[in-house]
Amino acid sequence: MKLTKARALILIAFSVPVAIELRTVAGFFNVELPLIAVAVIEFLFLALLFVLYGLYGEGSESAA
Amino acid sequence: MATASGGSEFVDKFPDEAAIVKASFLIAFVSLGIGAFFGLIQALHRTNVLRVIDSADYYTVLTGHGVLLAIVFTIFFLCGVFHWAVARSLDRPAESALFSWAWVGLMTTGTVLATVAILGGFVPNLGMSADVLFTFYAPLQAHPIFYIGLAMFIVGTWLAGADWFLSYRAWRKNHEDERIPLQTFMVLTTMIMWYVSTLGVAVSVVFFLIPWSLGLIESVNPLLTRTLFWYFGHPIVYFWLMPAYLLWYTVLPKLAGGRLFSDPLARVVFLLFLLLSTPVGIHHQYLDPGIAEGFKFIAMTNTMFLLLPSLLTAFTVVASVEHGARQRGGEGYLRWLGALPWRDPAFTGMALAGAMFAAGGFSGMINAGMNINYLIHNTLWVPGHFHLTVGTAVALTMMAGSYWLVPQVTGTKLYSRPIGLLQVIMWFVGMVFMSNAMHRAGLAGIPRRTAEPQYQNFEFLTPIGSIFELRVQIALGGTLLFLSVVLFLFNILLTSLGEESDRPVDSYLPEPLSGPEGSPRVLDNLAMWTGIAAVLVVLAYTLPLAGIIQNGGGLFGGGLPVPATVSAGFDLVATTVTSAFNTLWGVVA
Ligand code: HEM
Ligand SMILES: [Cu+2]
Repeated sequence: MKLTKARALILIAFSVPVAIELRTVAGFFNVELPLIAVAVIEFLFLALLFVLYGLYGEGSESAA
Repeated sequence: MATASGGSEFVDKFPDEAAIVKASFLIAFVSLGIGAFFGLIQALHRTNVLRVIDSADYYTVLTGHGVLLAIVFTIFFLCGVFHWAVARSLDRPAESALFSWAWVGLMTTGTVLATVAILGGFVPNLGMSADVLFTFYAPLQAHPIFYIGLAMFIVGTWLAGADWFLSYRAWRKNHEDERIPLQTFMVLTTMIMWYVSTLGVAVSVVFFLIPWSLGLIESVNPLLTRTLFWYFGHPIVYFWLMPAYLLWYTVLPKLAGGRLFSDPLARVVFLLFLLLSTPVGIHHQYLDPGIAEGFKFIAMTNTMFLLLPSLLTAFTVVASVEHGARQRGGEGYLRWLGALPWRDPAFTGMALAGAMFAAGGFSGMINAGMNINYLIHNTLWVPGHFHLTVGTAVALTMMAGSYWLVPQVTGTKLYSRPIGLLQVIMWFVGMVFMSNAMHRAGLAGIPRRTAEPQYQNFEFLTPIGSIFELRVQIALGGTLLFLSVVLFLFNILLTSLGEESDRPVDSYLPEPLSGPEGSPRVLDNLAMWTGIAAVLVVLAYTLPLAGIIQNGGGLFGGGLPVPATVSAGFDLVATTVTSAFNTLWGVVA
């Protein structure tokens, strides 16, 4: 499936609630996640998406 | 659902109706713009990020926000949708264009009067204000023209309903044995619920609040007017939601590439809402003194029954969307999600609105529980909840629906799909920030409806994160939401200024997978359902109202005695209903 712009935007959108609630979920397992860790994880996710978009995105040749 | 639109577009086929829809949408969108701007001011003010108003003016802004968004924007928009839906599904114009303009005119006049009264609050020496919030509880008092405007607005909606019933009656004459087309069925059941429930607010406004604000009577019984407000205040929630449901049931499956799963199930859902919407209003008054706990318990039980039609809707709509995805080649347990038309802002907006509604449903169950309600009552949790429901499930569905509906009434193509897509996603992200933080702030005890939620020698504590983070999230979310509204209005404006097109949008709606033919005819017996709804209302409200009037200082409060005849009448009703209830209880238990 091609990673279109629309699909990428949807993935970004759904990553936000996950990121916001990440500390709560970690808290269930007695892991105290600092805010900065959440920011880093979200940033890594966005970076990964960016790379994938470059590889399989709308403009690229290779379709997944 | 009516047959294919046969090539010609709505605006060509029904030019008068299209004009009414356009006018309704225009007023809705102007209100949305102003209301969203007020929302931004509040979000920044109460988080102490940016203060452009005096804290003393906070209630003026908050009243404007609540009234313009929750009452004017939503209801004008839904009148447009209903007018469109009735004309297209019955395949006939309204009986009289003049009559249609009359209700648009009356509602508009009412809106202008109420808005003027509210905005008057910014000019102290005007002597006119309405800083009473959209719930207008006594003893807060507004200038009479606020209540008069409100009454005109409500009467306008009654006339609008009459317009749709007249269309239906005329259609019935030459379609004697046919089932009511689904969209018209939805409009009519919703309007019956609206007639039943607005009676409460009409009595409150006409008999108590208007005479009181004019100085004709000295006082009112605040618990009585509050109860009459919530008698209407819960059903209004379904008045907001039903047009969104109409779009989810009849339009969203098509946008997803499929068809509605079941027409009869949709009918059952709308009937359940007609029956159960009104006898639950007391669930907003769990903390009101003067209403016996038993009545609150009954309201809670009825409320939990409302989960049934909500879950039926979730199932039917998701099943229809999945069907659409599979028609488009989607496969797997979850991979079909990727095959949905995410590029289409109308689809994506409605789907995101539905997803947020699920979250709103969960926080709503907490509001509805008599005991856990104490935890969050009047905290910021509550606005957090309803910005997911009316503020997103309804408002975002309306905006997304506009991307598909507006071209049908203007005859012009949508200006920009990518901007539309960005807009709905911005709304989703903004609301995730704002609403989530509001819920959390509420759990920490931060009150709603206050410009300065700070107390000396008291610190709000959160289990995770800090109050500062929550404030930043509310301010950030509010800003994204406001920008999203700006993009929306800009896109719609440019759409309406665009060039006319022969085929502005694919407006064909396919038949449901399972049609109404096999379902029981009794579903369409509107008179019977109205009767049952009325009985349920009488059962749920007679005793509490009698108690409030007798124990709460009479009809007009202030300790004024109830006239002897009225009081004897109430006694009679109260004893009859109590003994009937006791007998019933004896049989059941
Ligand atoms: C631009 C987007 C919006 C922003 C930034 C926003 C912000 C806010 C804030 C911060 C409050 C809480 C104020 C307080 O309790 O002190 C509030 C209340 C409220 N909002 Fe919104 N909101 C937005 C959109 C909406 C929409 C679309 C609706 C409904 C269709 C809505 C309906 C309400 C209502 C009914 C209240 C309660 C007013 C009251 O307590 O009397 N808002 N809003
Ligand atoms: Cu309610």
